[in-house]
Amino acid sequence: MEGFGEKIAEVMSSNKIDIHLFGLTIQISDAVIVMWIIMAFLIIFSIIFTRKMKTIPEGKQNIVETLVELINKLTEGSVGHHWKLFAPYIGTVLLFLVLSNTISIFNIIPSGEQLYHLTHIKAFQKFPDFNLIPPTKNASVAMGFAVMSMVAVLISGIRVKKVSGWLKSFLEPVPLLLPFKILDYVIRPLSLCFRQYGNVLGAVIIMELIYSSIPAFIPGVVSIYFDIFDGILQAYVFVFLTSLYIAEAVE
Amino acid sequence: MGNSAIAISLALLGCVSAGWGISFATGKAVEAVARQPEAGTKIQTVLLLGAALAEATAIYGFVIALLMIFLK
Repeated sequence: MEGFGEKIAEVMSSNKIDIHLFGLTIQISDAVIVMWIIMAFLIIFSIIFTRKMKTIPEGKQNIVETLVELINKLTEGSVGHHWKLFAPYIGTVLLFLVLSNTISIFNIIPSGEQLYHLTHIKAFQKFPDFNLIPPTKNASVAMGFAVMSMVAVLISGIRVKKVSGWLKSFLEPVPLLLPFKILDYVIRPLSLCFRQYGNVLGAVIIMELIYSSIPAFIPGVVSIYFDIFDGILQAYVFVFLTSLYIAEAVE
Repeated sequence: MGNSAIAISLALLGCVSAGWGISFATGKAVEAVARQPEAGTKIQTVLLLGAALAEATAIYGFVIALLMIFLK
C-alpha cells in the first residue's frame, strides 16, 4: 500500500523529453508529443476520407457525412440562428478532445516488461510500450482549450453585434451587473479548465491504481467506463458549454 | 500533513453536493420516464449532461485536495 503516494505523484507530474536539434537542446513535454500524434492522425484521416467526394455518398463518405451532420445538429441546437459560423470550430474541438481524452485506452495493451515478468519469455522484452497519457491530464493543455473557447466567445460577440452593440451588452439588463459580467470572462475559462483537467486526471489516477493492484482482466472492464465513456462525455460537455456561452454572446 | 489534512477533508466535502445533485436529477428523470416512456432517449441524454455538470463540484474539490497534498 505504501507505494501508492509516489505513484500518484509520478502520474501528476509531466515528463520532459529532450530533443537535440542543430546543437540545441529543446525540452518538450510528453503532452505535446501525444498531441502531435493526434494531429497527425486527424489530418491523415480527413485527407483520406474526403478524397473523391460524390453527390450520392457511398462507402467511406457516409461515415464523414454522418459525423458532420451530427456536429451541425449539435451546433444548431444550442447556438441557433448563427450556427454556420461556429460549426467548424465546435467540430474541430470536439474531435480533438474526444481523441485526446480516450487515447489512454491503449494502456490496456501490456508493456514488454510486464509480459516478460508474467511469462519469462525473452522475445516479449522487445515489445513496444503503448503507455500514452491523455494530454488533457496536463492542466496547461486544458487551460489552453478553455482560453481558446473564451476567445471564440469574444470574437463571436464582437462580430455578430459589432463593437458598439457588444459594449452595450455589458450594461444590458441593469448596469449594476457590470462587475459580474466582467468576472464571467475570468471564471468561465477557469471552470472549463478545472472540469476537463480534474475529470481526466481522476480517471488516469484511478486507472493507474487499478493497473498496479489488479493487473489482469479488471482493468479492461473498468477502462470502458473511465477511459471511453467519461472521456467522450467530458469532451461533449466542454463543447456544449462553449456553444452555450457563444449562444449567450450572440443572441 | 498535520493541519492540512483537515483542510483536505473539508475540500472533499464538495463531493456531498455532487452526490445530492445527481441523485435529485436521477429521481426527476425516473419520474419523467414513468410519465412519458416514449421520451426516454431524450430524457436520458439530458440526464447524462446534467449529471456531468453536477459532477463538476466534486471534481473542483478533488483537484484542490490533490493540489494541497502534492504541491505544498
